[in-house]
Amino acid sequence: MKTPFQSTSNPTTDPSLAALAQGPFSRRRLLAGAGFIGAALVAAACGSDDAATTTAPTTGDTTAATTASTTADTTAPTTADTMAPDTTTADTEGPDTTMAEDDGAATDGKIATLAAGLEVLAVNTYGAALDAAGSGALGTVPPAVAEFVTVAMAHHQEHLDKWNEVLAAAGAPEVTEPNADLDPVVAAEFAKVTDVVGAAKLALMLEQIAAATYQSALPVLTSKDAILLAGSIQIIDFQHAAILNFVLGNYPVPDTFGKLDQAVAA
Amino acid sequence: MSVDEQRLQLLIEESQDQQSDAMRDAKAVIPALRDIANDRRKSALITPDEIRALEASRASTRAKLGMLAGAGAISIAVSSILAKPVAADEALDIQILQTASSLEILAVATYGAALTLPFIADGNAVVKAFAEMTMQQHDEHRQAFQAQTKALGGTVQENPNPKYQPVVDAAMPTLTDPAKVVDLAATLEQVATETYLASLNLFDDKTSLGLMASVMGVESQHLAVLRAVAALLAGGGEALIALPTDVAALPAAAGSVAFPDAFQGTTMASPPEEGAL
Repeated sequence: MKTPFQSTSNPTTDPSLAALAQGPFSRRRLLAGAGFIGAALVAAACGSDDAATTTAPTTGDTTAATTASTTADTTAPTTADTMAPDTTTADTEGPDTTMAEDDGAATDGKIATLAAGLEVLAVNTYGAALDAAGSGALGTVPPAVAEFVTVAMAHHQEHLDKWNEVLAAAGAPEVTEPNADLDPVVAAEFAKVTDVVGAAKLALMLEQIAAATYQSALPVLTSKDAILLAGSIQIIDFQHAAILNFVLGNYPVPDTFGKLDQAVAA
Repeated sequence: MSVDEQRLQLLIEESQDQQSDAMRDAKAVIPALRDIANDRRKSALITPDEIRALEASRASTRAKLGMLAGAGAISIAVSSILAKPVAADEALDIQILQTASSLEILAVATYGAALTLPFIADGNAVVKAFAEMTMQQHDEHRQAFQAQTKALGGTVQENPNPKYQPVVDAAMPTLTDPAKVVDLAATLEQVATETYLASLNLFDDKTSLGLMASVMGVESQHLAVLRAVAALLAGGGEALIALPTDVAALPAAAGSVAFPDAFQGTTMASPPEEGAL
């Protein structure tokens, strides 16, 4: 009798398919793009008075008394460093000329700030859920749910770190506060959560908002590296949502085309 | 089998309603796309970025062919063809959409073939329902990509992806159990997901980009589900592939096996010209 998940099948190990699939792109190249995006934002900061720095939250909504945000620092992800970008390869790709356009770079900066604020919100909320689970406030927590929350929070922390790296490279302030519009809404919803199902529903809402926001941002972003970064995160958020749907007893892929109705505007 | 058939049917019907809404939205943009296509045809323009990207791709192909064929006559002839000026109907956007169409056609055919296998047709009800629904979703993606190709003035790709079709053909006789089918399907979903991701920043046309982004997320969900199903099958947990599932009985790894990385890579992405006409 095999232990469940002891031998996870990996389709990429199929030798014939793996040999065929030798695309010119890599995750390393994707992660190396942060410096390029940041360079674009620097250009925007110099050439536009509507730069990203004007939209970066500096204080957050400290009066919202969010249960979620109080635990962020105690739940640092364990895997964030494993995907640290290799910026040494950045120069080999050459600069992205689209980023020289100030208006586009300013737009990218706003979206980076928005994205980072959503990621802070997700990290905080998952952190609060873990704390609540640890205290017994959610009742019995199935192992798969605990694992999901831990891993999803780590993913969002990595996403946040990446966007902050982009902002820092541009000289813009890093985002440490959750999205000010959504934070009180999520806090109010979290206050109503009394069990695992309620927590999963709230997590699903957050993942759907994030996924829709990234999807809606993709045609607006101007930097090629920013598009690649946002797209690579959009995918992970869609996947988080699929597994949450499965856990909640819903069909895991309910839509044929990604929806935008929950997207947050920059 | 712990499948609540009635609930599953309700969920599928609900999902189909949502699909109809999404398709209505997608169809609503087609007239706008036609306008864009008409504008493009009138001006017969191809942007400098497209030309540069396409020519870079061609230069790479020429170099590879040159290495393979040496300085022989074949190499000269083929390189000569590839060196011709880029025409409007060869725009990179259209190539990307044609390649996407080819991947969707192959996915539809593969799920269709899988559904004829007895251990899928008569096997786990959720796996079968997933195969049926996913095949339908891929077919709608095909239609959307083909409509977009036409709207941009391109020739619609009607054939399966030439690179992966032989691989699927070779794999079919070896599909002797659900796990092998799931692995094959997961590979196709991963190729599609990564191809669309790698293609996003090559688009000149933002509507095409938006369409591909909306499809990409759905393919990535197919991939996530297949990874979870594969793991359950490998671990002897087929009974847990159910809707609703017994969440308490799921092993811890079920919560993370579907997304092994925080960022999606593109190492399996197909290049734009792979399925182009």
